[in-house]
Amino acid sequence: MSIQPLRTPKRRTKTQWAPYLLISPALLYLLVFFAWPMTQAIRLAIWEEQSLLSLRIAPGEENEAGALEQGTRIAVLDRSNVPLAPGEADGGPALLDVWFFVEGETPGGGMIQGWAPESRIRVREADASGVPVRGTIRPRLGSVAGQHTAVHASPDERSEVVGEFASRTEVAIARQKSLEVWFLIEGVRDEQRFSGWAPSRRLQIYGDGATGRVDSGDTGRFTLLHIQRMLNDRFFRSALGTTFLLMLLIIPVQLVLAIVMALVIQARLKFNLLFLAIFAIPLAASDLAVGIVWSSIFTQNGYLNSILYSLGLIESPQAYLTAATRHWILVAVWIAEVWRATSLVMVIVVSGLQAISQEVLEAAELFGATLWQRVRYVILPLLKPSLQVALILRTILALQVFAVVIALGGGDVVTVLANETYRQYYALRNMNTAAAYSGLILLLSMISAGIYLRTVRGQEEAVS
Amino acid sequence: MSVRVSDEMTKVRARAKRRLLIKRALTYLTAIVLSLWILLPIWLIASMALTTPEAMRNFPKGVLPFIPFSLDTMRFFLEARGIIPGLINSVVVALITLALSTLIAAPAGYALSRYVFRGHNAFRLSILAVRAFPVVILSIPLAVTFINLGMFDKVSSLALMHTALTLPTTVLVIGSVFASIPYELEEAAQVFGCTAFQAFRRVVLPLVLPGIAAAALFTFVMSWNEVFAATVLTVQNRTLPAQVLVSLREAPDAYKFAGGFFMLIPSVIFIMIIRKYLFNMWGQSSK
Repeated sequence: MSIQPLRTPKRRTKTQWAPYLLISPALLYLLVFFAWPMTQAIRLAIWEEQSLLSLRIAPGEENEAGALEQGTRIAVLDRSNVPLAPGEADGGPALLDVWFFVEGETPGGGMIQGWAPESRIRVREADASGVPVRGTIRPRLGSVAGQHTAVHASPDERSEVVGEFASRTEVAIARQKSLEVWFLIEGVRDEQRFSGWAPSRRLQIYGDGATGRVDSGDTGRFTLLHIQRMLNDRFFRSALGTTFLLMLLIIPVQLVLAIVMALVIQARLKFNLLFLAIFAIPLAASDLAVGIVWSSIFTQNGYLNSILYSLGLIESPQAYLTAATRHWILVAVWIAEVWRATSLVMVIVVSGLQAISQEVLEAAELFGATLWQRVRYVILPLLKPSLQVALILRTILALQVFAVVIALGGGDVVTVLANETYRQYYALRNMNTAAAYSGLILLLSMISAGIYLRTVRGQEEAVS
Repeated sequence: MSVRVSDEMTKVRARAKRRLLIKRALTYLTAIVLSLWILLPIWLIASMALTTPEAMRNFPKGVLPFIPFSLDTMRFFLEARGIIPGLINSVVVALITLALSTLIAAPAGYALSRYVFRGHNAFRLSILAVRAFPVVILSIPLAVTFINLGMFDKVSSLALMHTALTLPTTVLVIGSVFASIPYELEEAAQVFGCTAFQAFRRVVLPLVLPGIAAAALFTFVMSWNEVFAATVLTVQNRTLPAQVLVSLREAPDAYKFAGGFFMLIPSVIFIMIIRKYLFNMWGQSSK
């Protein structure tokens, strides 16, 4: 008989499928709505769709003879056609050649069958579904007037001619075939001349039929264009600078304020839970609402001016939130963000403080340490992990500052990275540059999150 | 001699007592000052919103707010174009988000708190990491995708996005709610003849339900507050914050301040309801 362990293990340690089944919906959802959009953001930022058109050695062939950039001027050397491949309909509208398989009487008297282009046949009769069944050969005009119309062995101008029809010959149309026109084109890329075949839907041919341009490419390529456009954007420096400046202004004040709040909560006053709830209110407040709240204070006939005026400190109401007072907008955003986001830091610090044993704090007090000494030499070192986490979380969240800035400053005089993403997307309709901005925010967040995870993991190792 | 010693002792004791009293008073003072710092702006916007639009334009503003008390400003805001539809959209989006997020997060939270499995830590860490990621990054590519799929400017698409946003937090909160119920309770129920499912249904569920409700409420508030994705992903079907944001520039003060106050109300109520669960929500991000 084996000896049973006295304590049953707290958690089921046997490998089983249940936990994977339970987490799979969440995991799947995060993959679809987090991981995938993130890769798409990067793709939008550094990938140029349809920028290169590959030239083929023959119409419809896979083998490439080179590639031309979108917008390149081209010379048209020849044309041909190939069957339209289904599912290859992207690009512009394709130029189509329609050929009819016809049967009719030759001028000599015999019956022949073969392919003739749609342009040579006037359809006289169609069946119920609109498919042509009967037609006549169009008469030729001008210099070629009176010439017969050739009938080909296959739907191609260059195929063998099997016979000829005179004008106005009645023909039966057995079936038809749509073919896409391909052009043999020539163009210059990187001072090198390329020529090859390309489908008509990717080209724009000018009226003369001999020149044109590459309308859209079939392959994308890596590009720094969007990132360059972001870097050269007139708001870029200001947005980046303000985002960092606000971070530097907000985070230290928040940390200090949050520690003070946490110490007050830790003192276990009467109405402790009420104080905690009051301190936590901004945690659930929307950033837009907070921006509006503070604009009611900073607006020209708002409360700040009212108070200063009543105290006799100013003669007339001052304007704070205008283009001429950029620094005041910054101050307003600073105060509003400190008001809004300190609660989050406070909650993290309080839970960190609760983990510190009460005995340590009491011992420090017994040995006569002043409040400052206790904070500096006991509380802060023990609180370091929580503070690190709060710091990094706040750094990432500071990259999101958006609605507060719009509500207080309109978003032009004082601008931040999130606001520029929004401007590029919404006002300028420039998805790629918007994606470049969000890519930058992603990069900055990833750096912060990387440090964050290392910190968390470090803590866990220290505990276990 | 002995009299003198006891004299000194009382003096020392009195001094210590006085010092303790002063310290206590100072702490109360700090608590009250900090509370005022939080409450004063809310009080001010409330008095802006709950007066007549004319009184709102007065300068200087009175020391005593709410004079005259009137709901005219609020009515003006609620009757403005797009506000009632925006309100309905906001509630619909938040409700879909709440349902979807809770349904997906609850099993994951349970697995995180009850099982040890390979990849447990990796899953938890990635949840921790994505929770902090800005919505700004996701909105642009999702907008492009939604346009391509014909899902753009739909309330349901926005709810899908908001679910992604709230999911990590909801998983962690629900996980910590489950973790606060000892597994021994479930075991005991099974010893007394419950099946595993019955033990969960009869013992664990009633205990975690309030916590899950709090998490769901938090999901609702996060969706209610979210403005960036809402503005980017909708054009006609704006939610309330998105509607307020885009009309902020031309809007009169009455609209603005009433709107700000209106959006702030749920958060104050919410915090009062869930204050017991505050640390489940954010405190554990340091663990």
